[in-house]
Amino acid sequence: MKSPGFRAYTIGYLIFLYAPIVLLPLFAFNDSRVIAFPLQGFTTNWFKEMWADVNLWNAVRNSMIISISVAVISTTLGLFAARASTRFKFPAKTGIMGLIMLPLVLPEMIVAMSMLVVLLSLGIDLSIFTIILGHVLICTPFAVAILTSAFQSLDKSLEEAAYDLGETPLSTFWLIILPLVMPGIISSLLICFTISLDEFIIAYFLGGNETVLSVYIYGQFRFPAKVPAIMALGTILVLLSITLLAIAEYFRRRGIAKAGGKDSGGFL
Amino acid sequence: MTTKDAMIEFRDVHKYYGDYHALRGITATIRPGEFFSLLGPSGCGKTTLLRTIAGFEDISSGAVLVDGRDMAGVPANKRPTNMVFQSYAIFPHLSVEENVGFGLRRDPRSKDEKARAVAEALEMVGLKGYGKRAAHALSGGQRQRVALARALILKPKVLLLDEPLSALDKKMREQMQVELIRLQRQVGITFILVTHDQEEALVMSDRIAVMFEGEIAQLADPETLYRRPNSRKVADFIGTMNFLPARVLEENAGAVEIEAAGFGRIHVDASQVMGGATAEGATVGFRPETLTILYEGSAATDRESMATIEEVVYFGDMTYYDVKIDGTETPVRISMRNVFGRPVLDRGARARVGWSPGALVLFR
Repeated sequence: MKSPGFRAYTIGYLIFLYAPIVLLPLFAFNDSRVIAFPLQGFTTNWFKEMWADVNLWNAVRNSMIISISVAVISTTLGLFAARASTRFKFPAKTGIMGLIMLPLVLPEMIVAMSMLVVLLSLGIDLSIFTIILGHVLICTPFAVAILTSAFQSLDKSLEEAAYDLGETPLSTFWLIILPLVMPGIISSLLICFTISLDEFIIAYFLGGNETVLSVYIYGQFRFPAKVPAIMALGTILVLLSITLLAIAEYFRRRGIAKAGGKDSGGFL
Repeated sequence: MTTKDAMIEFRDVHKYYGDYHALRGITATIRPGEFFSLLGPSGCGKTTLLRTIAGFEDISSGAVLVDGRDMAGVPANKRPTNMVFQSYAIFPHLSVEENVGFGLRRDPRSKDEKARAVAEALEMVGLKGYGKRAAHALSGGQRQRVALARALILKPKVLLLDEPLSALDKKMREQMQVELIRLQRQVGITFILVTHDQEEALVMSDRIAVMFEGEIAQLADPETLYRRPNSRKVADFIGTMNFLPARVLEENAGAVEIEAAGFGRIHVDASQVMGGATAEGATVGFRPETLTILYEGSAATDRESMATIEEVVYFGDMTYYDVKIDGTETPVRISMRNVFGRPVLDRGARARVGWSPGALVLFR
């Protein structure tokens, strides 16, 4: 592991991975409309410009509505599916679970195209709602995968013990199962939120007149004058991502500590 | 037996998992205040039977009665039984006292009274002052105690214990065995223990049901089970038993005259004659400690045979000798307590083996 070649490869790889992201804040504070070195001096004008952009705020609002709805709906669906697949036996279980997980490997383009065809032929207008439908489809497998592992690490006799001590199946779920899978639920919410926020193809295809953040940003690149403001927006998004990741990691570690387990690696 | 003498009654209980016949007509009675064990190898149905009492398994036919009441259709949370799980099932997100007091959530008593009940339960299992600790920070033995306190605080009619000691190390296990016996005498509740460890069952139980393949092979007190196993299978499962082929000469009102190689002619009393022989035909069985190697000046025994020592296994307090009795093919095991000043015999030595016809059993 100490060979110089390996070290050079590691450094090169890290630069490839993170240099573009480091450029974001650099140009977001650069006092020039042209994205090029040398840097021209410090300014916060791009943030002000971005802040004043009504269309941007509209896109942010749409994205938030979509991402939060998708996170909640996908996680709820994932909760049911994960519970069913870990706790019960039913006919064609493998097949059904396979079909639920399939969108994970299905090209989004195909999902977007086929949904567009179906929605149009049903006469449903394209809107935020149709984007939510598409995103739930691709996010649910992630939620199922995360929550299944949370449910699998749950000892079945914990449930039986609560039941044995006089609780009903419902109160057992509320008092025992839910608190113990809570870290999984929070991870699932955050990941679904992030996937939905990032997503471009489905949002572009099924959005109609409604613009979401990813589509809006892509559109702005057509106007060179707007690029610095996008850099400012990008900087804020990077900070937001790091915050979300830190929250997710905090809950993951707390979940492990609560259950008394050993930490076996995570995100950070 | 009237229902008054029965805390648990199984009436021809059958359980099928699909085609698999897990319980095959269990009929048995467990008395109030008894320490009862279900003993058998894994897969014999002992845990399934225990779980039918708790209400975690439905039965396919028959009836399970708890304190004279048929449990059909009564869900687990309404049954007068509580369970200690093999994994202890301590709620990891709750503190020790929240765990112990969990079953009191629906109790109408005041908060103070409940807290007092929790403290009492913790004291009973030797965990006084542990209430505020996080459950996941406890050792295996402590978790076990929390599980016991949590189940006993509800004062169930029956406490069900599913292999509660199997996860503990040997020292801890022996300590917990003694404590469980003490606890059972103290609270006077019927305890039903599932175990695959025959020694554990012998040490702890008032009575034991030995199970094989979904059936009770023998239900008896530990001493009867050990001294008079009713089949070769039970004899093999409980402790060590030597088997030698025998020939039945004559039979008289249950008592039997047999001829066994190495032992000669033996009169076997009716109480020593069991069924459950294998295809080999009649067999005599005897425990290793019922044979003695006779030294100069040893007290005389009923009968004597000559033997050659084939193997010596020294255990400190005990020595196991595998000896071939003259006229037999298979070596038998003799266990001798080591006494100060008495030499351990060497391999290949000749020895006089003393025995008594009353200590053996005949399987035919």
